Amino acid sequence: MSEAILDVRNITKTFAGVTALKNVDLKIDVGAIHCLVGENGSGKSTLIKIIGGVLQPDSGSVTINGVAYDSQNLRAIEAIRGGIQIIYQDLALFPNLSVVENISMNQMVEANDKLIKWKEAYEIAGQALSRIEEEIDLNEKVENLSMAKQQIVAITRALTQNARLVIMDEPTSAITREDVDHLFRVILRLKKMGIATLFVSHKLSEVFEIAEEVTVIRDGNKVGDYPAGELDNDKLTNLMTGRMIEYKPYFYQDTEPEKPNLLEVRNLQKSGQYEKISFTLRRGEILGITGLIGSGRTETALSLFGINPPDEGEIIIDGKPVVIHSTHDAIRHGIGYLPEDRLNQGLFQEHPITDNIVVTVLKRLLDKRGLINSEKRKTEGNRWIKELSIKTPSGENPANSLSGGNQQRVVLAKWLATNPKIFILDGPTIGIDIGSKSTIHDIIRRLAGEGMGIIMISDEIQEVLQNCNRVLVMYKGRLVREIPNAAEADEDDVFAAVSGTSGGV
Amino acid sequence: MLKNLFKSTESYLLIVLLAFIVVVGFINPKFFTIENLFDLLRSSSGMAILAMGFFIVLLSGGIDVSFTAIAISAQYIAVNSLIASGVDNLAVAFLIAVGVGIAAGAINAVFIGLFNVPTLITTLGTMSLFHGALLEFMGTKAVNTGGLPECFKTFGHFDILNLTRADGTEYGLSVFFLILVIVVVVTWFILKYTQIGRGVYAIGGNKEAAKRAGFNIPKIQFFIYMYVGLLAGIMGIMHVSLIRYSNPNYIVGSELGVIAAVVIGGTRITGGRGTILGTLVGVGLIVVLEKNLVLIGLSSYWHQFFIGLIIIIGVSITYLQNKIRSKKNLIFVRDT
Repeated sequence: MSEAILDVRNITKTFAGVTALKNVDLKIDVGAIHCLVGENGSGKSTLIKIIGGVLQPDSGSVTINGVAYDSQNLRAIEAIRGGIQIIYQDLALFPNLSVVENISMNQMVEANDKLIKWKEAYEIAGQALSRIEEEIDLNEKVENLSMAKQQIVAITRALTQNARLVIMDEPTSAITREDVDHLFRVILRLKKMGIATLFVSHKLSEVFEIAEEVTVIRDGNKVGDYPAGELDNDKLTNLMTGRMIEYKPYFYQDTEPEKPNLLEVRNLQKSGQYEKISFTLRRGEILGITGLIGSGRTETALSLFGINPPDEGEIIIDGKPVVIHSTHDAIRHGIGYLPEDRLNQGLFQEHPITDNIVVTVLKRLLDKRGLINSEKRKTEGNRWIKELSIKTPSGENPANSLSGGNQQRVVLAKWLATNPKIFILDGPTIGIDIGSKSTIHDIIRRLAGEGMGIIMISDEIQEVLQNCNRVLVMYKGRLVREIPNAAEADEDDVFAAVSGTSGGV
Repeated sequence: MLKNLFKSTESYLLIVLLAFIVVVGFINPKFFTIENLFDLLRSSSGMAILAMGFFIVLLSGGIDVSFTAIAISAQYIAVNSLIASGVDNLAVAFLIAVGVGIAAGAINAVFIGLFNVPTLITTLGTMSLFHGALLEFMGTKAVNTGGLPECFKTFGHFDILNLTRADGTEYGLSVFFLILVIVVVVTWFILKYTQIGRGVYAIGGNKEAAKRAGFNIPKIQFFIYMYVGLLAGIMGIMHVSLIRYSNPNYIVGSELGVIAAVVIGGTRITGGRGTILGTLVGVGLIVVLEKNLVLIGLSSYWHQFFIGLIIIIGVSITYLQNKIRSKKNLIFVRDT
């Protein structure tokens, strides 16, 4: 047995009577690349916070680098001194300060010198960066760096505090595929230095790419530890959700070939974002669009919804050319849009679920005096809560009382209430558990079956192949491939198109 | 270096200031005399010192509107204490004023740092509280030149450099300018070279990250608001020495001018970004504007109008820049 940098035993934590973690163990070897997976709400974040000393569990023990702590008394500063560094999704950097300060700040504060020794700060930052073989302009302000570079700054900062275990919470959710590869190389360099990484992710493919050991937790219980080599996608999904989820491909049959295209886009162009985009969408189709961040997929979708008007090109709906310059235009033409970032763009978090649903159709709920009829409001809200099986005791509860999957259904309901003909879903299942994912997919299929035209945008190739009848691939602002029959497509082939490495493009 | 200079907000501002000065100088050739420069420095040093304090608050992501109430309280209490005790000593006056200022700043900091009350609400409240308490407990009677202890008058006339006019009479550079230079250097040193100064930038940039990095945020906030109080105390004494008259209703009401100077100086209202040089140029702009409105044929009421305009425009620019940046990154919601 190799030596463990972290050994967590029998951790139990309850919040107001609800058990978040129950007798969970986690052991990470020195220099290991370990992955912690579990659905949202499974207790991953709670466990990380306990390891970092930010939360105190009800019982259990934490041993860091051979030193045993009564976990109820483990403080954040002790965890840091033991070599535990947690990089949260928000990175906790100072956007207004230079790279040198961001990297050296924690150490300077820890040393508690009254005066700042700039020369020393430059040395600390320069050395830390060269240790992981990275080069970033030390004088650049962090706000001017890309997300991926900011991440490197956060990792480098962790190194300055003698990290032995770096915990990364969903580090790949906001960066491009290329940057993910880069990040993985950095993690391998950390390993060479004997620094372990605990990688928390919900993207299964990445788990297999980087992890040596995988720990799965579900509903606050540990399911088990598995060598990554023994797992595959289906097996891991099964472990995370406790059930088998089977995908049936979506088959589409054009029942009204005489009717014009529901949507036709001709040579849509916006300088610096995308060029010469042409495609069609028919009633009942689920059209997938996939590509990397920056490939132009979201930009194109936003153009169709009027938020990001194109420079030139035509949009034709039901055979008639239309001009879409605002979301108002888009809604008038029967287009609905489910945004990628639903927390910010899709929901009034603190308002009742019902209000969130009816906000797009308030006009329909007015009585003669022009005021909102509370009866109509309630009926409309309850209708969608039932239709999409949103799990809540009452529509009057705030939206943020719901889980991620149910929140997503509220956003869906909001747009479905407008009765769109064309529904664009941008990353419909981002940050949603696998279990709820399939429910959302079922809803999308049902809507298409009822005659709606669906455009599903996702960077998960598997998701589009499994749920769409036709898939478009975008790369660097252009449509590079059309896959007419998604069910028969080869995933590796699509992956090559997405990353621009396939020939004949 | 030169390239950087042209990129910065301060350089644009400096150009505006210089252009403005040229226009004013064209209308009034007397403006270009050293005597006029010395005069401006004497009368505006106090404001520049207040601006240094407000600059630090804004940098930390806070707002302080109580500093004028603190300045007048410090002044009026110091003046009356000297009169009542019969001690005619400038050092004592400064000690009292600075003590009052720091204490008042500490009161702000208790609410802001310990109870986490929003800074604007806290200081709006304490502005009224400090000034109301001053008028109630210290009285409303102004102290005129005759009743003013000699030490203030001497201080107000003390020059560190004397020059002779053509007619043989003398004029000089006030000691106020020296005090301003000291305040600027000390503030610069604190911000650049002390842990607490970097902490001000850190909490202005990302308060949560500052907490996680191990900064003691309440401690930094106590420092910030007590430092503002200290500067307000110094300004209070300079003010009475300049105008040789202490009225408990003066200074209060001039805070918007200071705020405008700092905002137009390029310090972001959202915190974390700004420079001392920019702040000083901002003060210069406001002062030249104020002193020369009448000269270019506008009534002095326009001053109030322009101060408001400057604040609105200065703040709008920050938000517009944010909006443009968000649009580039395809973010269509307002970031906080």
